[in-house]
Amino acid sequence: MTDLLSPIDSEVRAHVRERAEATRARRQAVSSIMTGLCWASIAVAAVPLVMILVELFSKGWSYITTSSFYTQLPQAPTLFAQNQLGGISNSLVGSLVLIVYACIAAVPIGIGIGVYLAEHDTKPAAVLRTVTATMIGAPSILMGLFAYSVIVIQFGVGFSILAGSFGLAVLMLPLIASTTELSVRNVPHTLREAGLALGARPSTTSLRIVIPAALTGIVTGCILAISRAVGETAVVYLVIGGTASAITWKPLDFGNSLPSTIYGDVQSSYSSQHDQAWGIALFLVLVIFVLSLAARIWSARKQKVRR
Amino acid sequence: MADATTTITAPADQPAVRVEGRQRPSTRSRGPYEWTLIVLSALFAIIAFWFVGSIFFKSLPAFHQQGLSLVTGVGWNPTDGTTPSHYGLLTMIIGTVETSGIAIVFAVIIGTGTSLAINFFLPARLRTIVATMVELLAAIPSVVYGIWGILVLAPWVLNTFGPWLSSLPGGTAVFGTTLAGKSLLLAAIVLAVMILPTYVAISREVIGAVPHELVEASLSLGATKWQTLWKTVLPTGRIGLFGATSLALGRAFGETIAVSLLAGGVVQTNYHPLAEGTSLAAFIANQFGEAQGSDQIPALFAAGFILMLMSFGMSLLSTRLVARQRKAAMAS
Repeated sequence: MTDLLSPIDSEVRAHVRERAEATRARRQAVSSIMTGLCWASIAVAAVPLVMILVELFSKGWSYITTSSFYTQLPQAPTLFAQNQLGGISNSLVGSLVLIVYACIAAVPIGIGIGVYLAEHDTKPAAVLRTVTATMIGAPSILMGLFAYSVIVIQFGVGFSILAGSFGLAVLMLPLIASTTELSVRNVPHTLREAGLALGARPSTTSLRIVIPAALTGIVTGCILAISRAVGETAVVYLVIGGTASAITWKPLDFGNSLPSTIYGDVQSSYSSQHDQAWGIALFLVLVIFVLSLAARIWSARKQKVRR
Repeated sequence: MADATTTITAPADQPAVRVEGRQRPSTRSRGPYEWTLIVLSALFAIIAFWFVGSIFFKSLPAFHQQGLSLVTGVGWNPTDGTTPSHYGLLTMIIGTVETSGIAIVFAVIIGTGTSLAINFFLPARLRTIVATMVELLAAIPSVVYGIWGILVLAPWVLNTFGPWLSSLPGGTAVFGTTLAGKSLLLAAIVLAVMILPTYVAISREVIGAVPHELVEASLSLGATKWQTLWKTVLPTGRIGLFGATSLALGRAFGETIAVSLLAGGVVQTNYHPLAEGTSLAAFIANQFGEAQGSDQIPALFAAGFILMLMSFGMSLLSTRLVARQRKAAMAS
């Protein structure tokens, strides 16, 4: 102990302490710089997103609050009447019809696949699960090419609403399947066991007990898939024909959708059409926000009730 | 819990139903319900294989005609049929890799910082609001980001930012005399903005799931805030962060509309980020309308096939890596 108090030793200790202080100070400095950078990255991330939202609302608001925007057919501006625009009634109906047809195919099949995947742990199910995951990641333009080669060429239907719906259905299928699988798996084991213990057949147990219990998740998944399909441009743009200027619901007609109208408007040389593109974009964004918020709130409330 | 095996004794006239981990119903009792599910799943399998097959077989004529030069060549020269037309997809392949590569670097750096800040620095009440906002932003269709890029960002680069860059000392040497409004870099930046909410939505959850005990242990050992985040939080969440990265990258790869509006759509050999270019997906969308009835269609399908290979390869790679890392994490 006495050694520690010798003058040389205290010098060493002072040195060591000094070094430790320096290291600590350096680490603190690095820490505050890096945490500062984390804050900065929030700002960097927020700026463009806020700019987009501001632009959307400032340019699009006057369109979505005008009733003729929804009720009139579009009129292409000409050199002499640069501001004539009309509305978007045809693409509004077009988008609605596309989604409805796509849902008729994708919702039942997707739910069926999801339930199958959740209830089976066999080799084919594992393969199908991989296929589903891969399809979710596949670029949407490929669905457009697929719809083109199958519906437009192979079946000889030609460019049509049907082809667009087919592409959207292929896009929605794996999304619905995977969310359904997840929510069926999340149903407590005990519920299914209780059903089986009461002597119900496995199929009755699934249909009457497990699927109703998972219904919130399934519906949420469907709504999210729909909101994805509503904004999908590439798939529909490739195969829908895109030049229809009338309102139609017939699956074999040429059609028009909101995102492909935006895509066309933006490439026009008239600034009035650019502004209309903002209006359609704002409308789309609001529809998608409402859909996904509704799904979120509804599923949160249901979950609270169950607990 | 998942591996628990429960045996339930059914009424005497029926065999016992074994409920294994994932509740597989006994194979003997396949009624209409089970068959419906099997048929629907088989239908999906058929669709999936048809999907791959139709894109592959449609692209075969192009590969047949040109061989590998279709992938390694540059140019897009359709002819009226009297002389053989020549197509090269290298520009689009490099454009795809370049734009999504730049975008993912931006998105991961800024997105990880944002997720850390959301989880550790924001007050709890704000956290849920920000999280909901991020998820809503992730749902915005890409065409909206595209019109922002083309109607706001591109004119700004053309009229304000480009001239300013050129006026800097040495600016013309680095950036050229005129900066085109459209460029690969512009497309990449809009892609980064677009995939950022997707990345943050997942990485925020991943980072939020890191056990609080680990953070507290690290802090109580005297680690600074940043040391804790860098050496404890991020390594713990690396599997999930990797998953988020590959998902965002997949979205950037396949993005059609934004790139088709912003990259310029030029097929050439100048791959400078400030030069105009195009990507596989964008080029298909740009060219598809005019290509009807010509031998461009097989070449465009070949572009789609390459894009599909890239996308499938990446999702295979990411599931492999995630599985391996998860195994390693379990073992340790």
